[in-house]
Amino acid sequence: MAGIVSGVPGIESGIERLNRFGIRHHSPAGAWHLREFLDKVRPERIFVEGPSDFTDLIEGITNEAVELPIAVMAYTEELPVRTLLYPLAEYSPEYQALLWAKEHGCECRFFDLPSDVFLGMEADRGEDGEEETGGKEETLVYARLDEAAGAGGQEAFWERVLENSEDAAGYQKGAELFGRFLRELSGEPGPAGSDGGRRENALREAYMRGRIREALAQGIAPEKIVTITGAYHVEGLAWEAPHMEETEFSALARRKTRRTLMPYSYYRLSRHSGYGAGNRAPAYCECLWEARQRGRADYAAYRYLSGLAAYQRKYGQAVSSAEVIEAVRLASALASLRGGKGPVLEDLRDAAVTCMGHGKFSEIALAVADTEIGTRLGTLPKGMGQTSIQADFYRELERLKLEKYRSLRAEELKLDLREKLTVQSRTLAFLDRERSFFLHRLRILGIRFASPGGGKQENATYAERWVLQWTPEAEIQIVEAVLKGDTVARAAAFQLKEQAEKNGGIGSVARTIRDAFLCGLPEAVSCGAHMLQATAVDAAGMEELAQASSELSQILKYGDIRNVNREGLIPILEQLFLRACLLLPGECVCDAGAADKLAEAVRQLDEVVREQDFLEEERWISVLEEISGRDDLNTKLSGFATAIRLEKGRMNQEEIHRETARRLSKGMPADLGASWFEGLALRNHYALIARLFLWQSLSDYLDTLDEEEFKRSLVFLRRAFSGFTSSEKDQIAENLGEIWGMNPNQVSEMVNEILNEEDQALVDTLSDFDFGDI
Amino acid sequence: MGEKEGLQRLPAEDLFAAEIRALIENEKYPVPEGWRMSPRSVLTYICGGKAGKTTITPKYIGQKRLVEIAISTLITDRALLLIGEPGTAKSWLAEHLTAAINGDSTRVIQGTAGTTEEQIRYSWNYAMLIADGPSPEALIPSPVFRAMQEGTIARVEEISRCASEVQDALISILSEKRISVPEISLEVPAKKGFSLIATANTRDKGVNEMSAALKRRFNIIVLPSPDSLEREMEIVRSRVEQLAGGLGICAALPEDEVIEKVCTIFRELRQGMTLDGKQKLKPPSGVLSTAEEISLLAGSMALAAGFGNGTVGDYELASSLQGAIVKEEEADSKAWEEYLENIMKKRGRRWLGLYQECRELNRG
Repeated sequence: MAGIVSGVPGIESGIERLNRFGIRHHSPAGAWHLREFLDKVRPERIFVEGPSDFTDLIEGITNEAVELPIAVMAYTEELPVRTLLYPLAEYSPEYQALLWAKEHGCECRFFDLPSDVFLGMEADRGEDGEEETGGKEETLVYARLDEAAGAGGQEAFWERVLENSEDAAGYQKGAELFGRFLRELSGEPGPAGSDGGRRENALREAYMRGRIREALAQGIAPEKIVTITGAYHVEGLAWEAPHMEETEFSALARRKTRRTLMPYSYYRLSRHSGYGAGNRAPAYCECLWEARQRGRADYAAYRYLSGLAAYQRKYGQAVSSAEVIEAVRLASALASLRGGKGPVLEDLRDAAVTCMGHGKFSEIALAVADTEIGTRLGTLPKGMGQTSIQADFYRELERLKLEKYRSLRAEELKLDLREKLTVQSRTLAFLDRERSFFLHRLRILGIRFASPGGGKQENATYAERWVLQWTPEAEIQIVEAVLKGDTVARAAAFQLKEQAEKNGGIGSVARTIRDAFLCGLPEAVSCGAHMLQATAVDAAGMEELAQASSELSQILKYGDIRNVNREGLIPILEQLFLRACLLLPGECVCDAGAADKLAEAVRQLDEVVREQDFLEEERWISVLEEISGRDDLNTKLSGFATAIRLEKGRMNQEEIHRETARRLSKGMPADLGASWFEGLALRNHYALIARLFLWQSLSDYLDTLDEEEFKRSLVFLRRAFSGFTSSEKDQIAENLGEIWGMNPNQVSEMVNEILNEEDQALVDTLSDFDFGDI
Repeated sequence: MGEKEGLQRLPAEDLFAAEIRALIENEKYPVPEGWRMSPRSVLTYICGGKAGKTTITPKYIGQKRLVEIAISTLITDRALLLIGEPGTAKSWLAEHLTAAINGDSTRVIQGTAGTTEEQIRYSWNYAMLIADGPSPEALIPSPVFRAMQEGTIARVEEISRCASEVQDALISILSEKRISVPEISLEVPAKKGFSLIATANTRDKGVNEMSAALKRRFNIIVLPSPDSLEREMEIVRSRVEQLAGGLGICAALPEDEVIEKVCTIFRELRQGMTLDGKQKLKPPSGVLSTAEEISLLAGSMALAAGFGNGTVGDYELASSLQGAIVKEEEADSKAWEEYLENIMKKRGRRWLGLYQECRELNRG
């Protein structure tokens, strides 16, 4: 390439005659002056700063049916997905240049490094560093720039000086100086940079110079070439330095990319953006652009302030026209105090705070956000520049009648999954069910278009609440998901498969199955089921087994509402259940802490047994019998198992008599006995209260204890009774009254009686006793 | 200035006469009608800078932008309302603005519960009124009245302390920009340059809410408490210096460490949490303003000069702090004790002396 260049005479000197137009990204004045400039120069070739592989998308960008803002997005073909965004608004100089070229039949190209190199460089910088190094340095430069620009910082400086400039030449000159200043501040005099961001800039400029030389070599006169770049690069392009060699270029690290167009929003534009500088106030910039088109410099100020007032009025704040007028006057006065021609955004905002906000920014903060940022959303004509999954997403939106939710405002959607009997067609009858599948799939893919609404529905599995809000981020996430599949459904299935295979234990696999089920993806359900089967064979903790069983049971129980085939899950649940039954008694040898968790597992399993007829209840009963009968297990769990048996009516009078007498007998250590009772009390309280003999045994047992033992058992009993309500306690009191041969009223009186001194002393001695962590 | 020696407090335009003169002499920008210097010079006067060879001391240390807005408001002949917590330099700023713009900061109406409408508009010399009937000679113009005649700026301090009907008397003045005296069929239109600066308190007890109609006639600026410890220390240091000089207290200026301690305590109690934001604490009932810090330190200096060794030590500081913070006995005393025990005690050696003195006093 160098050879070709050196073969053409006069090229080295031609560079100075090149038309280099420096801009600030998203600067309305830049766009306006640029058009004027182009009208004057009438170039044959326009170069715009932007990845050179975006050139073939220009046709799409300038399509008449496109509504801005939009963005060009490049994304890597492999995981992890990295993206590069190139946003454009109506007032972006780059966009206006593309438009001008189209209108005048001029050839227009992007001429920065292609996107695969950009993303390659990013990967180069390392995962942990990400943009830290470059970003930090850049922030530093801008901080220094803010300082140098004086009051208001560089943003206000730029707006005051350049955004208000009247003629193209002045703007061009100013931007060039600004760029040079910026270069000096960042310590980049020449193209030879050392590290990080500087090296990147040097590379980019070398590449851009290479493209210019190619054009020159093709015989285009330098006067007929216009380059449009950020002000920063203007000087870099003039550098008589070597451009990039072909070998050097091909040696650059790169990651294969694909490109697509996507709708963008002002909101996202106002935050940062990947390529080129962000834009704090897109809606205000649109006002400025409109002002230019109307040829009235002060239009933006009026438009901005009356926009604020209109917003305030709409939301119940009284703002008079007089206040708007005063704000306009104050803004002008503020601008003249700073020596500016017209007010800039900062002046307007401060004036609005003073005149409309009663001195408080908070009063007009929402109006400011609305007027400065706005809610404009770009759209692309159908089928244009979209990836398959984007196209599928929009098709689904249409099919499921969700299009109206594609707005920046969060809206709630209530779904009723049951068949609607009042409607004619089958599709309408199950519309909500299909919607639910779709939204769950998006959730699985991490696409933040829909999030489950808070608040548990009233125990109805057929009702769902979602909050829907569209953001450009969601669009990006959709595009990223293309690597997982061509349609939303396929991508979700892939994601679930990955999740299942990652295998974070049996519980998480069960959750994945549940997710697959919610997404209406039968294949993913059965895939997860196989995974679960494989995992369950390896030893798994009791809690996880119970948890997984419970999840599966839920699906089986409420599954028909989603019309997903669940047959495959039955054998797996059977298997899990069997496994749990076999393991449970052995697990019950444990300390108090583990016993609490195991009790929960036992509860879940019991529920599963009750819900699913196909499980062998007899086996479960025999497991419970074993636990309740054995003496070497945790007594609390034994008590709990006994309680369940009791509740099920699977224990006869004699048996429970015997068991109680055995557990609460003199020989037993006091804490074991009381702990057994505690386990017993975890379950149905009425079943206990109704059995008088139980209280008789307890009372007898307590009578046999000596003082020290009594104190120990008290700890457990206290805890056991803390779960009872006061009316239940009253009933217990009645029971005891009967046992002690008093009438209920007497006992109740005693219970409610104020302690006399003697009793008080007794209680006091007890309070010396350390109850530990009850 | 010779005559004015021995006055307790000089008005701003006399205190900084040299600076104002220098600014007027070095004027480079157009001067609005009725003003003595350009808006930019006013800004320099308030926020500090250079006028020719004279250094202009900063009067208001805080956000420069707020001062810009205030001056711009006055250029557009709108009335200005400064709102803020007590001790955020509202009156101070108002005084210096009028001193710079008109060279006269003395057209003041002090708003109180007893302020009447006559004090805002005009009143009569009753002896003359009874003897000769209404006549221009018997008329006593209010400061606002005179400001209108001369085209200067009048100040209304603590406007929210006035009764509502008195506040409302300002509405017609601000919208019509004229005062009529029907008794002698006199109409006084305001000359160019007339404006009004009012100040209002947001936290004091016994204030009357301003009507929306009146608020609409003002451009409102909320003056904040100093935003950082450093800035607050700077304000306190410079004001204490000025005050001590003016009052002739024979004590050394408090050291930076002392100022830092006071500012730290005040900021923490004001915000209800420690400076590092790690611990919440209970704020006392009273207002803990920058102005109070200044008078507290001046008080400590007086204590040190009169009864101590001439430097502000922990003892002097402790007694002043006690007085400033514990206003409503019971609750405040507890809040203060909590602060002492939970925060100050754990701050290590540097704070130990002060802690002991404070605890001693708070218990007594």
